[in-house]
Amino acid sequence: MSYRSKWLLTLRSFGYASVLLGSASSCGLPADGSSLGELRGTVMEVPIAMPDLVLTDTEGGLYDLRAETDGYLSLVFFGYTNCPDVCPVHMATLAGVFDELAPEVRDAMKVIFVSTDPERDTPERLREWLGAYHPSFLGLRGEVETINSALAEMKLPGIAVVPGRHGSDTIIGHPSAVLAFGPDGLARVRYLFGVRRADWVNDLPLLLGESP
Amino acid sequence: MWLGILLLIWGYHRLLSQIDDSYESSRLQKSRRAAFALAIFLLWASLDWPLGPLGASYLASVHMVQFLAVGIAAPALLLLALPTAAYEPLRRRPRLTKVLSDLTHPIAAFFIFNIVMTATHWPGVVDLLMPTQLGSFALDAAWMLGGLIFWWPLIVPVPERPGFHSLGKIAYLALNAFLIRPPFAMMIFSESPIYAIYELAPPPARDALNDQQLAGAVMKIGTAWIMFAGVLVVFRNWMLLESDRPESA
Repeated sequence: MSYRSKWLLTLRSFGYASVLLGSASSCGLPADGSSLGELRGTVMEVPIAMPDLVLTDTEGGLYDLRAETDGYLSLVFFGYTNCPDVCPVHMATLAGVFDELAPEVRDAMKVIFVSTDPERDTPERLREWLGAYHPSFLGLRGEVETINSALAEMKLPGIAVVPGRHGSDTIIGHPSAVLAFGPDGLARVRYLFGVRRADWVNDLPLLLGESP
Repeated sequence: MWLGILLLIWGYHRLLSQIDDSYESSRLQKSRRAAFALAIFLLWASLDWPLGPLGASYLASVHMVQFLAVGIAAPALLLLALPTAAYEPLRRRPRLTKVLSDLTHPIAAFFIFNIVMTATHWPGVVDLLMPTQLGSFALDAAWMLGGLIFWWPLIVPVPERPGFHSLGKIAYLALNAFLIRPPFAMMIFSESPIYAIYELAPPPARDALNDQQLAGAVMKIGTAWIMFAGVLVVFRNWMLLESDRPESA
């Protein structure tokens, strides 16, 4: 190996190490960063800030997303109750996870479902649908434009309305990942569709700085 | 699926037209045809809509009902559906008889059946094979083959096994009824769903873990009941044989 190659290799190794250390320290994980490799979610290179949004909850009250989630580990998902696949699977998985978590982990968390279909997702419908999974899951509504601008701010794909054909329901395109916002209001890990209950049970305590 | 069932029906009728089963009582003949019809019904009902797609992609509990039908009940019924004369040509093929003798020896059959059942319910195998039609068919075929091998020493007269007494047959069935296979233990005792295909399936399953535990119960209780029915038949045949035997002076 030439001197130049060795040098490049050393530089690269240093770069990778820096990236890893940087991610670990910014992750809000245990200070030594030892748990980084144990996370099963997708660690994002650039953290996403909790959008500065005031939405409406299912009781009709205003819900300031940043203020209400401050100090909590918040799992935020954008979806709709008529979704045939991704949304019910994520919610069912998280409901199962909640049953399995230690009470102190559960109490330090919020699951927030932001509707991407406010027309059909009435407050009653949202409350009933989420309640069937877990009574603590929170449903929020807002104008489509407001949600879209928040999605754009978070570099997530916006809402896409696909009209139903031959009498089938309208399909709403929405991001399929659940974002895990830490108590500091920054999301550093996302969970794509396909994440399993065991993955959540492993990661959530780590994201709160506890052992799984 | 339809092609396979049609081929089975065609093959059965062709076989019956080629052999003379008049030596069997008309009652027995009717029973054999009823066994065949029931086997076909079980295969069709468990593999076609709605159980087929439900078991293939949505509910582990339905998948387990399919297993009971395809892997345990249907093979027994298919073997019972054939008249004794249908097995006689096997005797004229010594090599095949030798292979069958080894493969369907009760000890070998016991292990083959249980290895096949364990492997085809192993989470990695299920998640790998179930998403594709070919993989799903491979699982069904493995179940059917495992089931045929399991029932063969109990039902088929070729090769003859004079040493496999009724008591041994009862023990063979009882052992399989009570045996706790690893997939059953995993399904019942795991704290998380073990099959990704069912965990990540959209509704009707709201709770994949409950569905999985139900699947474990269906597997255990269903298998035990079928084995228990087998024990009753073996016991009844044994009693009939004993009562027909002339009493020694």
